[in-house]
This record gives sequence, structure tokens and C-alpha cells, in this order.
Amino acid sequence: MNRNNFWIHFGIAVVIITMAAVLGQIRRWETSLRTPVSTGKSSKPTTKPIAVKRSNADGEPEINVRFKPTVNLSDIKKLAAKNNDRIEDEIEAVKGLVSIDDLDNADAETVAKQYAAMTDLVLYAEPNFKIQLDDPTKTISSKDLLQREPIEARPNDPKFAEQWSLNNLGQDGGKERADIDALKAWLKTRGSSEIVVAVLDSGVDYTHPDLVENMWIRPDNVPQYKDDELVVANDLHGFNAAENLSDPMDENGHGTHCSGIIGAEGDNDEGIAGINWNVKIMPLKFMGRGGFGTTKDAIEAINYAIDRKRNGVNDRVINASWGSTMYSKALEDTIRAAGEEGILFVAAAGNATTNNDKRPHYPSNYNLPNVISVAATDKNDQLTSFSNYGVKTVHIAAPGKDILSTWLNDDYREASGTSMAAPQVVGVAALILANEPKLSVEKLRERILKSVDKIDSLNGKVENGGRINAAKALGN
Amino acid sequence: MSFNQSSATEKAKQDLARRTSVSESDIETVSVTETEFADMSLGAPVGDEMAAQMMSSGWRINLSAGGKKYEYRADKYHIRLCNFKGTNHIVGS
Repeated sequence: MNRNNFWIHFGIAVVIITMAAVLGQIRRWETSLRTPVSTGKSSKPTTKPIAVKRSNADGEPEINVRFKPTVNLSDIKKLAAKNNDRIEDEIEAVKGLVSIDDLDNADAETVAKQYAAMTDLVLYAEPNFKIQLDDPTKTISSKDLLQREPIEARPNDPKFAEQWSLNNLGQDGGKERADIDALKAWLKTRGSSEIVVAVLDSGVDYTHPDLVENMWIRPDNVPQYKDDELVVANDLHGFNAAENLSDPMDENGHGTHCSGIIGAEGDNDEGIAGINWNVKIMPLKFMGRGGFGTTKDAIEAINYAIDRKRNGVNDRVINASWGSTMYSKALEDTIRAAGEEGILFVAAAGNATTNNDKRPHYPSNYNLPNVISVAATDKNDQLTSFSNYGVKTVHIAAPGKDILSTWLNDDYREASGTSMAAPQVVGVAALILANEPKLSVEKLRERILKSVDKIDSLNGKVENGGRINAAKALGN
Repeated sequence: MSFNQSSATEKAKQDLARRTSVSESDIETVSVTETEFADMSLGAPVGDEMAAQMMSSGWRINLSAGGKKYEYRADKYHIRLCNFKGTNHIVGS
């Protein structure tokens, strides 16, 4: 190499090295700008629940706003900042839906109206009410029933004889065969651990001896739940939207009761039998110790269920044994999004003895292709004295009075309500899916609503005039 | 905190005294009856609250203060004041 060639090659090398160094630095800058927070939060595995950082002590977002599809998140954030508001959370399952926290502590109704007035950008805006303790200083303001056929499907659970809803032989003054015909259904299937049922409720005592084997645990191949705003990690046992923790332990008992109806382990010499002897129950906690919760937290929990489905979890049904008369477009949109992911949403019709056709009860009254509204019957196949009804809006009935199921502290308890009727339908849905895993949500809903025993007392009270029959649902 | 009939009534009277500026000793307990409520909001929902649809046993506590009547509802978990100035309120849990 002569002296001239050396300097030419040396010069080229210096230029290339300098360019590579500059490009590398630019890429690092880009990465740090794109993921300023989430990289740090999500890369470190954690075994403890992480509390959400909220903007203030009260914590709850002020309003839910759904922006038009043309408005991107960046623009939404700018708009919120301009109004001295803050994006509390993005509901990823519903495009354009965000929870906004008003940093001025303005009245939620007022803030919602401000956003609703932006008709070129906003589809709707609704207040998200806080539920909190009032501080008045601040504001004045069994016969031998196990002899019924078929014997081969009878579980050995010691309290099975008390479960009239599964096998009614007229015990305790009931009417023979006023049940869901579980024994006959179990000749076909007793459930499957491949089917995941989400219980959207007060949490579940996932250590209960009759539930522990049937609890969903996030598989290793399913990533931890990440929410850009809430930052929940290590969702090993499910999700807790009420306290923004990953631990969905039940402090009330209601969610544990519903779970036992759906899937207490069967034939395990312990307690009761669930409609599914085998299933996986995913607790989605949004109600606290008192048995009530916010619409926003319900939305957040459904968003979690949708996210898990998209990440490969086979959660096909959500049980919703709760409600109120308050309509929420945001909740309706989120339940619709769940339906689009193939998730059936089964809701209690309510306990006010009222006609839902005239006085709607939500979420059961959302007119969506994945929603089933359930009324409650007693052991004589009569509509219970408390159950809501509605020939246009309540679709089916199921046993919901004096239902024995799992409770806190390894206990069992009888309870009554449409809360207890909805999980009977969810349980049957899970049985159907165990037998036909590929069934679409539309076909699943159709099958359930056709699988009833017609009851005179339900004629004109519920849409199909019948009480669910699990054996019929399985073609048995 | 867990309530019983007595502690729930006491708490209700304390709450009413603060709201109405009537001395607690001048608040009369008209009646306290065991009741089965339609749901876990005790049939008195607050805002957009969603409640478990399970029949729930508790107490209906009727108080009187300054010539007016007030209704509280309670179970072991919490206490609510019904329809006070048009809205329901959670007053203790």
C-alpha cells in the first residue's frame, strides 16, 4: 500500500466508524424516548402486587371519554393536558376509550359535558362516580335423593345431596326434577381444565379446598399483564381492579359462592360439586369487602379478560352477578369488545322484583349478541319473589334460591339471588365448551337459550319461557 | 370494621347528629328492624355503583331528629343513609 492509498483508506474508515457511532447513539435515544417508563417497570419480574400510582388520594378517574377513531392517543393526551386533565387509563380493548382525571377537581358531570361538547373529536363522555364513605363534616349535604338415575355420574361430594339445583328429588319441599339435570349432563362431560371462566366479582378465595384445584393460574407462556397506566404485574391468580393489585382474594364471599356453583371440584370427597367438576376459574375482582364496586373498575377488569384472551388464555365466559339501574355506554362498549373476542357475558337480571323491559337493569339489559340476562327460580320451578323479569330483556331463568356453595374460611353457605342464577348458566356454558371447544359465542348463546325446560310460571316473564337444562344443552 | 345491630344504630345516630346539627341525645330511634335487602348495596345504590345481586340480611334503622324522619340501612359491612337530600350515602364501613 502506498502512502496515498493508506490515507484514503484511513479516511474512509474514520468516516464509517463515526457514522456507526452516531447511528447507534440515535437508536439509543429513540428507544429511550419511546419507552421512557415501561421498560423499567416491566422488565423486572416481581412476586409482589404493585399498587397503581394514582394522581390523588381519592384515586378514581373522573370521567370516561370515548374519542373518535381518527383521534390518536398522543392528541388525546395533548388535549387533556391543555384542559389541565390527565389520562388516568386507556381502555385498550375499546378504541378511543380513556379514563380522564380532572386535576382541578371539577365536578364530574361538568367535565363530562365539556368533553361531550367536542363533537368533532368525542363520541361520548360520561362521569365515573366515586364510591366512598361520606364525610358529613365536609358535605352537608335432602329424602334419599341420590337414588335418581344415572348412578354412574353421581359425585362423592358429601354435600351433593343438598344441591337441589343439580339434582332435585323433591327434598325440602321442592319439586322433583326442578333442576338443571346435572347427572344426565355429566354422562357427556364433567368439564375441562382447558376452559377458563372469568368470575367478575368480589374476588375468589382461591385457597378454598373445593376450589383450589380448579383455579386458573397464569401459565408460564402467557406474559404478565401490562397496562401502561396501571402497571399491574404478576397476575398469577387473576386481577384485582378494585385495589389495583394482582391479588384477587375475596373478602366478601359472594365471588367465592358464584365460583363454587360454576366449578367446585367434583367427586373429591369434599363439600359440593360444581356444575363443572373440572374447569379453570379466573378471578376478576372489582367489588370490595362490602360487595359493591365502580363501573370503571368493572370496565378495567373486562379489559384484562380481553387482554388475556388475546395473549392465548382460553377465557370464553364472564360471570357478572351484579348490576344497577345506571346505564354506562363505556361499560356497554367494553362488553361488546369482549364479545368480539369470543367471550360470552352472562349477567344477573337483578333482585328488585321489577320488569326490566320497563326499568332497565345493567349490564344484563345491554342488547348485545354476547349478553345473556338470567332470572332466578326456586326449588319448585317458580320465579322467585325477588327476581327481576322481562319477556323482552330477560332471556332465561336458572335456579337462584337457597343455593349451597363455597364461602370464605373453607366454609359453605346457602345464598339467594339472581347472583346465584347467573353462574348456573355460566356453568352450563362451560360444559358446552368442554364438549365443543370451537363453538362461536353466537352459537354458544343460541344453544343455551334453546336448552330449557319450559315452565308455565316463566311464560311471559322471560324471553324463552324456560329454566336452563344442562343435559339438553349437551344433547343428552 | 364489622357492625352489629347496636353498633350500626349508634353509628347512624352519630352520623345524623353531624349532618343535622341536632344533638345525638335528641335523636330518637323510631325503629330498628331486621330486613333482607335485595342486593349488597342494601337497595340504596350510590352513583354508578354496581352491587352484587345476592339477598343480604341487615337492619333498617329509622331515626327522627328535629321533627324529620331519616332511614339508615346497614349490614355487617357498612351503613347507608337513604335519600338524604335526594341521594343515598355510604356513612360507615
